[in-house]
Amino acid sequence: MTGTLEVRDLSAGVDGKEILEGLDLVVPFGEVHALMGPNGSGKSTLCHVLTGKAGYRVSGQASLAGEDLLALEVDERSRLGLLQSFQYPTEVPGVSLRSFMVEAAEERGLSEEEAGSRIEMEAARFDMTRFLDRSLNNELSGGEKKRSEIFQIAVLRPRMALLDEIDSGLDIDAVKQVSKAVEEMRSPDLGVLMITHYNRILRYVTPDRIHVMIDGRIVDSGGAELADELEAGGYKAIRERLGLIETPSEPARRPADFFTDTPFDVK
Amino acid sequence: MTAFDQQHLSQITASTPAWRRSEMEAAYRVFTALDEPTGAAEDWRYVQFDHTFSELEPVAEAGAPLEPGPFVASLTERSGHVLIVDGRILEHESEVARVRRLNDLDVDPGFPALVPVDHNKLTAAHAAFSTDGVSVEVEPGAVMDTPLVVEVQATIPGTVSFPHVRVRIGDDAEGSVLVAYRSADGARLLMVPRIDLEVGDGGRLRFLSVQSIDHAATAVVHQRATLGRDSTSRIGEIGLGGRLGRLDLGVSLVGDGSSSEVVGLYFGEGDQTLDYRMVIDHQGRSTTSDVFLKGAVEDDAQSVFTGLLRIEKDAARTSTFETNRNLVLSENAKAHSVPNLEILCNDVICGHASSVGPLEPEHLYYLRSRGLTVERAERLLIRGFFQEVIDRLPIRGLEEPVSDEVFRRFVTAQAEGRVA
Repeated sequence: MTGTLEVRDLSAGVDGKEILEGLDLVVPFGEVHALMGPNGSGKSTLCHVLTGKAGYRVSGQASLAGEDLLALEVDERSRLGLLQSFQYPTEVPGVSLRSFMVEAAEERGLSEEEAGSRIEMEAARFDMTRFLDRSLNNELSGGEKKRSEIFQIAVLRPRMALLDEIDSGLDIDAVKQVSKAVEEMRSPDLGVLMITHYNRILRYVTPDRIHVMIDGRIVDSGGAELADELEAGGYKAIRERLGLIETPSEPARRPADFFTDTPFDVK
Repeated sequence: MTAFDQQHLSQITASTPAWRRSEMEAAYRVFTALDEPTGAAEDWRYVQFDHTFSELEPVAEAGAPLEPGPFVASLTERSGHVLIVDGRILEHESEVARVRRLNDLDVDPGFPALVPVDHNKLTAAHAAFSTDGVSVEVEPGAVMDTPLVVEVQATIPGTVSFPHVRVRIGDDAEGSVLVAYRSADGARLLMVPRIDLEVGDGGRLRFLSVQSIDHAATAVVHQRATLGRDSTSRIGEIGLGGRLGRLDLGVSLVGDGSSSEVVGLYFGEGDQTLDYRMVIDHQGRSTTSDVFLKGAVEDDAQSVFTGLLRIEKDAARTSTFETNRNLVLSENAKAHSVPNLEILCNDVICGHASSVGPLEPEHLYYLRSRGLTVERAERLLIRGFFQEVIDRLPIRGLEEPVSDEVFRRFVTAQAEGRVA
């Protein structure tokens, strides 16, 4: 199927631990989808595996516009049209945001002049002009880093943007700002998968579809009603409705054996 | 063949002023008593110094001067020019500073004894056999806006030369000096320069050296700076040349409130060894220093950094830091990084950071995730790595040729598959 990001039966693990367990997902270009799930459900791993980070055992299929993503190198996937905004973008000393974007735009066939004017235009739009000649992500606040990631997507114009935890660690003003940027990115040629474990960004961005991810799988997909259900009862409500048993986590260790031997130990 | 013996010494001292003669004769006795440097001594660890004085000759006459090279050529503004070829002073003129030959001075200018004669056999040889030197004085209160360019060249295979430059920045004066080392193509020779830098109270020194001698040559530079009260010294070091290129650098923060910055970059290729030995000695109170050195090695090249921050007993409220970052770009290349602290006073802020390794995989991943090929991402990271140093060089105007040369070395190696 062309015009989509399509993921079929995708499994991934690291160090003998399974994180994604047969995940299915379709995001058509032109739509904004939200992927929601509790911490540890595998959301970020999905991003890493799609982008091509090393270190994962991967099986299953993932394609972008009909091309097999998993057969491609990281940079080939990006040039094909997949672009991730990172949860924790790395700081790169000495490399300016501007020179980085010029090189990345040139790899996409833009001339230096075209790249330069597009960078200026998008920087003005996302209020990034003053960061262009500074080292990449250096001394940026959490919100500025996320804005920089979105600015890069705007400059490079991918077909599919993966926004990993685009709202985490941000105060409410920054969430509004990022949400506005996501809404502004909407275009018929761009698919967006917005990954989050908070509902609050959904007050400012209206996705076309919401997917709920638990234990390495998409367990439910739907519209705004799914967000309402999460708002009201959290992931627990979804688990209960779907009859999913919570994997017991390690029992909490007591502070010290001394206390466990006293009669005052609270069970 | 002329040897480094009593006969040769007598020949030189015949044409030196009286105040130098006794020093040279004393140094000669030290020279004969000392052994040739070997890797067995800690000070020469990791380093293959494969010259001996028995196989080297003194310079009889200066060779023809070399072209200035890309670094000096790119500097459009200068306030004076000194040309030293094979240890002989061929030109010396300056608009602001007073530049004289040591042999023209009737009275001992009184160098602070910063490099002890018996530091090693090479310093003793310098003290005994250096035929002449250049003294640069910036009068108190004078300001040198554009740099004095000192070209130090060696041209004759099989010789050892002993260039000597002494810079004295008067109280509240400002001086700027660029020293460019070059040697003749393919000539196996040894260059043992000595650089003395003195900054008076409230003085400001900007000093940059660019060492780009031929890969067949060896340079062992002994350089010392002593800083007066509330003075500032900014020293830059660019190391590109030599089979062995060593810089033995000492900065003494003697005056209260003095401050020192040493920034540098080096890039070793082929079988080069680039070797940095630094001692930053805090003696006065409320002094500050920062060492910031970055280097890369590829092929079979190696680099050495040993940096000692010493804080003397009375040096209260010292603030000091040193950083040494190394990129190891080929499997057989090596970088040794040994930062050290010696703190004899407890009212100080100090620290060091050191790293040796390949380009950060995390940085490469980030750049590639935006569509940059591995090759392009590596090139951007190499430029970025050195840009931090280039931005801090104390003399402007050399950014482009320095950046181009470093980049050229990497890109050539990358194209030929010599970097992993």
